[in-house]
Amino acid sequence: MTALLPPKPPALPDGSERVRPAAAGRSARSTRPGLAWTLPATVFFLLFAVIPLIAVVVLSFMSWRGIGEPKFVGMENWQELAGDPVMLKSLWLSLLFIVLGVATQTPVSMLLGVWAAGPQRNRAVLSAIYFVPLLLSSAAISVLWRALLDPNFGVPSQFRWLFGDGNLFGHQATAIGVIIFVSMWQFTPFHTLIYQGAARAIPQVLYQAAEIDGAGRARTFFSITLPQLRNSIITSVILMVVGGLTTFETVLILTNGGPGTDTTITAFYMFEQAFRRFDFGIGAAVALVLVIVATTISLIMVKVSGYDKMRSTLEGV
Amino acid sequence: MRNNRSWLKPATAAAGALALGMSMAACSNSGESAASNRPENEVHVLVYGDAANDVERAMVDKFNETSDVKVVLDTIPGADYQQKLQTVIDTDSAPDIFFNWGGGSITDYVDAGLLMPLDDFIEEDPRLKDAFLPSVFDTAVVDGQAYGIPMRGTQPVMLFSNEEVLASAGVDGAPETWDELLDAVEKLKAAGVTPIALGGADEWPTLMWVEYVYDRVAGPELFESALAGDTEVWDSEESREALGMLRELVDSGAFGTNFQSVKFTDGGSASLLSSGQAGFELMGSWAYSTHQDAAPEFVESGALGYSEFPTIDGGKGDPANLVGNTNNFYSVLANTRYPDTVRDFLKLMYSDDFVQEQVAIGNLPTTTNTEQFLDASADPDYARFQYGLVEQAPAFQLSWDQAYPPSATPAIHGAMSDFFSGRIDEDGFIAAMQGL
Amino acid sequence: MRTRPNYIAGAAAVVWLLIVALPLYVMIAASVQTRSDFSAGGPLSFPTSFTLENYAGVFQSGFGLYFLNTLIVTGGVVGIVLLVVPPLAYAIVRNQSRTTTLIFRFFLLGLAIPVQAVIVPMFYLINTVGLYDTLLGIILPTAAFALPICTLILSGTMRDITPELYEAMAVDGAGTWRTFLRLVLPLSKPGISTIAVFAALQGWNGFLLPLILTQSESTRVITLGLFNFQTQYGINVPGILAAVMLSMIPVLLVYLFARRALVQGLMGAGGK
Repeated sequence: MTALLPPKPPALPDGSERVRPAAAGRSARSTRPGLAWTLPATVFFLLFAVIPLIAVVVLSFMSWRGIGEPKFVGMENWQELAGDPVMLKSLWLSLLFIVLGVATQTPVSMLLGVWAAGPQRNRAVLSAIYFVPLLLSSAAISVLWRALLDPNFGVPSQFRWLFGDGNLFGHQATAIGVIIFVSMWQFTPFHTLIYQGAARAIPQVLYQAAEIDGAGRARTFFSITLPQLRNSIITSVILMVVGGLTTFETVLILTNGGPGTDTTITAFYMFEQAFRRFDFGIGAAVALVLVIVATTISLIMVKVSGYDKMRSTLEGV
Repeated sequence: MRNNRSWLKPATAAAGALALGMSMAACSNSGESAASNRPENEVHVLVYGDAANDVERAMVDKFNETSDVKVVLDTIPGADYQQKLQTVIDTDSAPDIFFNWGGGSITDYVDAGLLMPLDDFIEEDPRLKDAFLPSVFDTAVVDGQAYGIPMRGTQPVMLFSNEEVLASAGVDGAPETWDELLDAVEKLKAAGVTPIALGGADEWPTLMWVEYVYDRVAGPELFESALAGDTEVWDSEESREALGMLRELVDSGAFGTNFQSVKFTDGGSASLLSSGQAGFELMGSWAYSTHQDAAPEFVESGALGYSEFPTIDGGKGDPANLVGNTNNFYSVLANTRYPDTVRDFLKLMYSDDFVQEQVAIGNLPTTTNTEQFLDASADPDYARFQYGLVEQAPAFQLSWDQAYPPSATPAIHGAMSDFFSGRIDEDGFIAAMQGL
Repeated sequence: MRTRPNYIAGAAAVVWLLIVALPLYVMIAASVQTRSDFSAGGPLSFPTSFTLENYAGVFQSGFGLYFLNTLIVTGGVVGIVLLVVPPLAYAIVRNQSRTTTLIFRFFLLGLAIPVQAVIVPMFYLINTVGLYDTLLGIILPTAAFALPICTLILSGTMRDITPELYEAMAVDGAGTWRTFLRLVLPLSKPGISTIAVFAALQGWNGFLLPLILTQSESTRVITLGLFNFQTQYGINVPGILAAVMLSMIPVLLVYLFARRALVQGLMGAGGK
C-alpha cells in the first residue's frame, strides 16, 4: 500500500532536527499523543531488560559462582579480562563475523530481493521456499547443518575434490566459513524480504526514464536501484550487525568455539565463563563488554545514518 | 556538546536502578533458604534427562502410591544439566534430591554446606552403603562423609571394535598390548579404513585415550596426586612418556585426519564403526546401546566387539584398572523439608525391582545383588563382561572432567583437544594441566 | 513494465534455491527413515524405507503438552507486544519531542542487549517474584526482549502515514485516541502483522529463557523438548528432525495465511 503514496519532496535540511518543521501543521497538534503513550512499553522494558542489565553491571564487580554470597572484588574481574588474550581475540572474531556476515548476506539478499520483486508468477513460489529457513530456530538449523557437514557421511564425503578430507571444523578459516555460511542460510530470507519490499516500491518512472536515456542494466542498478534502497540497506545492516554480535546457538552447536578458541566470539565466551566455568562475575564483565561494543556500533550507525532523526522514511530519497 | 546532556538523564535513572539491582542481588542470596519456603508435601528430584527417565518415573509413581509426601521428578535435557543445577542449587527452587557424578561434581556444594551428610541415614539402614560395591560408593565420599547414594549404573570405558573390519584387514582379534594396537593401526591403514574412530569435535572422547594411557603408564596415583594439588607430577618422566606415546599414536594416523570434525553426539563416530569405515572406537559402555538403537544389525550380527584397554609394557598401572563414569549418584540438600521421605526414596536404589528394571534397559547398577539379574539383561554376555570388569578392577578412575569441579571442564577438554590436534605440544599440555 | 530478463539475479536465485532446498530435503527424508537406515546411509542418501515411527515417537514423548505450552507462551508474547508497542510507536512518530526521540534511541540501543547477557540476573529476578517454573515467567522477559525490534519495525511503518491524513483527522475533530484507533491502527496493519509474526517467532523458538527459567515437565516448551532428544549418549537425528518438522508446521500455517501481510509489513521495516 505504501507504493500508492506520492513521492515526497526532497529532504528537510539537516540540522533542523529538534525543531518541528512548520509544514507538520499546528492544527494537528491536538492529535499528538502524550508521553503517557510510551509508558507501558518503557516501564516493561525497564523492568525486564534494563534492571537485569544494571544487575549485570553490579555483578561484574563481584566474585560469585552461583552458590553462597557474592563478594565485592572491585576491579579484579576487569583486570583479569584486560590481561586475557581470549577476550581480545573474541572481540576481533566478533568484528570479523559481523564484517563477513554483512559482506555475504547483503549482496545475496539484495540480488534476490530485487529479483523477487519482479512480476513473474514463479517468483512467488520461489520466494515462499526461500522464506522457510526463517521458520526454523537457530538450534534446529545448527543441528541440521552439523549433520549435513559430517566429514564422513555428509556433503563433504560426496565432494572430495572440493572438501578434501572434510575436516571443516579442524581449521580456523573453514570453521569460520561454516558459521558464516549457516548464518547466511538462516538470515538471508529475512533480508531478502526487506529488499523485495523496498525494490517493489521504487517508482517505475525512474526505470522508464533510465531506459529512455539508454542506460544499461548495471548502470540502472547502481544509479537508480541502489540509491533507492538506501534506507533498507541501513535497516538491514543494523539488524545484521546486532545479529552477528549475538550469534550464539550457531557457534555452540556447530563448533563449540573451536578448534581451540578459534571461533570463540564474545557472546559465546560470555556463556563459557558464566555457564561452563561458573564464574558469574567474569561472565557479567564479558557480557558488559559485549553490550558496550554493540551499543557503540549501533550509536555510530544511528548517528552516521541519521536513523533516529528520520521524520519519514521517504526522507533522503 | 548538546548530546552529552541528553545522556545525563538516563545516567541518573541508571544510578537509581543500580541501587535496586543491588538490593535485589543481596536479598536473593542473604537468607539461608529456610525449609518452610520449599513446596509443601513435595520432594523434588532433579535428574539428567535421557532414556532412563521412564524407569525412574515408574518408580516414582509406585513410591507415591504409599507416600503422603509426593515425589516429583524433574528432568533436565542432558547437555544442560550441570548449568541448571548450579543456577538453582542455592535458591528456594533447589531440588531436594539431585543426580550427579560424585567426585568433583559435588565438592563445591559440600564446601558451601549445601548438602546433607548421609551417615545418619546409613546408620539407620546400613544397606544404603553395604548394598553397593565399595569402589563405586567411595566416589561420592567427601572428607570421610558419604554424600551420595549410587543410582542408575556404572559406565566404564572400553575398546569397541568392528570384528569384520579387523578380520578383513588381517588383525587377529582385539589387541592385548599397546604394540599390538600400533600394529593393528598399521594394518587397518593399509586396508584403507580409519583405524580408530574418534569424536574429536566433542573433545571428551579424546580425554578417554589420555586417561587410559596415563593410568597404564603411571598408575592411578599420578592423577590422584595432581587432583590433590601436587601439579608437579604433570612434568614427571612418566607423564612425558604417556604424552609421547599418545603423540606417536596420533601422528601415525590412527585417528585419520579429520577427527576434529567428527562427533560422537550426532552419531558420526559410531556410524564410522558400525558401517565398517573404522576398526576401533574407545567409548563408554553406553556405546553398546547407541549401536543397538542406531545400527541393530551391526550388534545382532555379532560384529560389534568389546575388550579391555590394552596393557602397556613396563607401565605401573594394573592392566585391570578402569576409567570412566564410576556411577551416578543421588545427593540430598541439607535443607530438605522431608528427610524421612528422602531416606525412604533412596532405599529404593538397591531394591530388587529397581535393579532389575535398570538391567533390563541396559544400565548396570553396582549393587551386590546386581549379578543375579544379569541374565535378564538384553545381552547377558555384555552385561556380565562389564560387571566383571568393574568388580575386579583394583582402581576405577572417575573421568578427569568429573573428578575436578565442573568449572575446570573447559580447560581440561581444551588441553586434550589441542594436544591431539597438534596445536600444543607436550610442554603446552603440561602447562595447561598445571594451570587447573 | 517490460524488461529484459535479469540473468545474474535469475541464476543467483536458482543457486540459492538449491542451497535452501537441500537441507530441507534432508530434513524431510531423514524424518521418515528409521534410525538405522539413516546412520547406514548418511544424511544425503535417498530414503530406502518409509516409516512414521519418528513422528509417533515425538508424540509419545509428551509433545502434545509441549505444543500447548508453546502456544500459550507464543500467545502471551504476541499479546503483550501488540498491547504496548503500537502506542509507543505512535508516540515516537507523532510526539516528536526530545523525550520521545530519547526513548526511541533507548529502544534502538536495546537492540544491542543480547538476552544471554542478562540471563543470570534474570533468573534471580524471576525467582524473587515467584515466577520461576511458570509460563508467565517465560512470557514476560521474552516479550521485553522482542520490544526493540518490534518498535523499530512498527515506527517505520507508521512514519509512512502522511501529515495530511493527520490534518484531515484533526479537522474532523478527532482526538488522540480516535486518531489512533481510526487512522493509525488501520493504516499500520502490515507493520502490526509483521511484529505479531516476529513476536510469535520469538515465543515459538525461544530456547535460553525457557531453559533457565523452567524445570518441570508441565512447563516444558517444544524447543526444550527437542533438546531432550539429545543426550550424553548420542543424538537421535531422525527423531530430532521429525520433531523439528512438527514444530515448524504451525508457524508454516501462520506464514502461509499471513504471508501477504508479512511481506507488506517488511516493506515497512525496510523503510519503504
